[in-house]
Amino acid sequence: MTDTAQDRAPPMAAAPPSWKEKLEPWFFILPSVVLLLAIGLYPVIYTFIASLQAWVMGMGPPSFSGLDNYIHAFGSSDFGHSVGRTLILILVTLPIELILGMMIALALDSTNFAILRRLLQICLVIPIAITPSVVGLLTQLMFNEQLGIINQLLHLVGIPAIDWLGRPTAAFITVMIVQIWEWTPFVALVLSAALSTVPKDIDEAAMLETERWWPRFRDVQLPFMWPGITAALVFQTAFTIKEFDMIYSIEKGGPGTSTETSVMQIERMAFRGFDVGLASAESILMLVLSIVLARIYIRVFYREMD
Amino acid sequence: MKSFTLAVATAAALYAGVNQAHAWSLSEAAAPYKGTSITVVGLDRPSYKIAQKLTPEFEKETGIKVTWNIFPYEDTLKEETLNFISNSQQFDAILSDVVWPVNFADPDWVLPLSHFTGDAKLADPNLDLKDFFPVWLASFTVNNKLYGLPFDSYAGLLYYNKSMLKAAGFDGPPTTWDELAHTYLPKLTDKSKRVYGYALQSARGETQTADAFARFLWPWGGKFIDYSNKTVAVNSPDAVDGITFREGLLKYMPDGIVSDDHSQVVEMFAQKQVAMITEWSAFYPTLSSSNLGSDLGIAPEPKGPKGAYSAFGGFAYMVSSQVNKKHQNAAYLFIQWLTSREMAKPLIEGGAVVARQSADEDPSVQAKFPNLAPMVKTWETSTVPDWRPQLECYPRFSDIVSDWGSRIELGQVGVKPGLDSMEKDLTAYMKSSNCWGKINNPEAAMLLYK
Repeated sequence: MTDTAQDRAPPMAAAPPSWKEKLEPWFFILPSVVLLLAIGLYPVIYTFIASLQAWVMGMGPPSFSGLDNYIHAFGSSDFGHSVGRTLILILVTLPIELILGMMIALALDSTNFAILRRLLQICLVIPIAITPSVVGLLTQLMFNEQLGIINQLLHLVGIPAIDWLGRPTAAFITVMIVQIWEWTPFVALVLSAALSTVPKDIDEAAMLETERWWPRFRDVQLPFMWPGITAALVFQTAFTIKEFDMIYSIEKGGPGTSTETSVMQIERMAFRGFDVGLASAESILMLVLSIVLARIYIRVFYREMD
Repeated sequence: MKSFTLAVATAAALYAGVNQAHAWSLSEAAAPYKGTSITVVGLDRPSYKIAQKLTPEFEKETGIKVTWNIFPYEDTLKEETLNFISNSQQFDAILSDVVWPVNFADPDWVLPLSHFTGDAKLADPNLDLKDFFPVWLASFTVNNKLYGLPFDSYAGLLYYNKSMLKAAGFDGPPTTWDELAHTYLPKLTDKSKRVYGYALQSARGETQTADAFARFLWPWGGKFIDYSNKTVAVNSPDAVDGITFREGLLKYMPDGIVSDDHSQVVEMFAQKQVAMITEWSAFYPTLSSSNLGSDLGIAPEPKGPKGAYSAFGGFAYMVSSQVNKKHQNAAYLFIQWLTSREMAKPLIEGGAVVARQSADEDPSVQAKFPNLAPMVKTWETSTVPDWRPQLECYPRFSDIVSDWGSRIELGQVGVKPGLDSMEKDLTAYMKSSNCWGKINNPEAAMLLYK
């Protein structure tokens, strides 16, 4: 069998795509890109521009003021203290949420007590489903010094009534307790999802190897869970930094400023003091802090199992 | 001859006035605006509840549709300022707190009332501005121009529990702060039974500034601003004395008072846990319908060492300059009707507090509403219109006062160092925001109305 001339001819080179073909994919993604820019990037750019202006609502038009608002924010003890409270809230609540969340995730993963497991799943949804401002109002009632059920329960075990909401430290501890109650279920669900990524065969092999839970958890389950743990850390840090409704409805950051977190201080500057320029600068600084913390989490905790 | 001419002229003027009064009617004045919808800003407080209830009468007579937009007090200035800055024209009738007139008048967001009162077709000849208490007209006057018609007007009053005072051996309420602190409170307070002599609403925010701080500033001779020297005066020796006195009252108050707002304090008083509170006259309907019954006593606030100065607060309605002329005129007709002499009594009957002398001083009305007599006395003799200063930068100014005021009350900082820090922060802010150029001194406007 001999090759014909046609067979020997070099294959035809594909025609270069026309400009229409080149643009076509862009048309498909353009709506999403525009939407993302509009709802994501535009507010950030607008806030950044506002942060460079001397702008007090109702006191004349904004004027360019360079980095004055940033300098003012760094020098403000008010803002500094609120950031400090926010970081303390993260440092205390996040590890507790992770530990409790992990325990709940492991309980959910257990093959025993199917009915209790189901009940636990339902209970987990309740704190997430309740509106944060309602959580705040419930907290007001439950932690009320004279009428609240918390002090009634403490009284039953012989502990005298605590002025939960009237004293600065007690009020901050109250916020921490409620924050942990509200967000632990979310962490548990994220960790539960992470636990489901552990390959069944490996897990079963580990169970054959040892009956003790700790080596199985440490050497088999935990390595697969790091991406989930990182996600929980990043989400929870962001949620805590922007937590507003719950704390505000407990007592508007009081008594004094003892439960005022950075986002509440920023809201106060913007909508009580009407200093939009300063509030914008503080918002940008908090955004930078969130990004830095997220990068640290990813660098320290994130690792994937091959 | 001269007096005869004067008499004829007076008679002619009176006749013209009477004739014009007969000629003017709300329905005729409103005829060009029939079908117009206006939006009115209101608060979730008794005066606005009864005003809403009575609004259908206005709508029926005029054909103007009124929509009420109710906000919590804390959000009202924000909502109205955003409305003006964005020129969204959401609101036609603007509600101004006694400390906001300069915020609205200086940028020309609201119209002076002369814009309407000079128009014979719109202005009710029976409006009778002189019937409003002078202190209220002065409070809404900026650069000698009146901008608002007072509505929902308060005076600070001493509410006391007659039975609790009697059980402690007192026939009547204290008349001075000194007497209250040193004679009454030790006998009225029994912490083991959770019974307290006094409670002062002190929550951070406007409550701390207007109620918990200013109340112990003025009666001791202190003030926020020294207008003549353009200085902040919150750390004067008088102010230090007053705030030190306030700290001395804490041992007779419930724990956690620093976080309590009006509602909590009123509730504690209504539940007979507290024997005395100093609260706004607007709380009378709430307290008179509580289980206190005949135990409820009302008196002017106690005097301080430098005289009688009671809390002063309340609101007025203004007309937005940003909406079209039809809406402006319709809104003016509404606020003129709402604050008229004729509406004053129905409003009081429904639980509102108004600043009309004819109604508030009427003995038959005072007999039914015992909050009125001490309220009138306060407005006439024992308050100042700049109880809180009228500054365009007031929101942040108040925030700084409230911040340091709360810290002092919590014991996080001493009185003198706290007030020095407050003064330092306020002075810096007044300078950086160029606020000294945007001040209104309502005390000076008192001369226009007295």
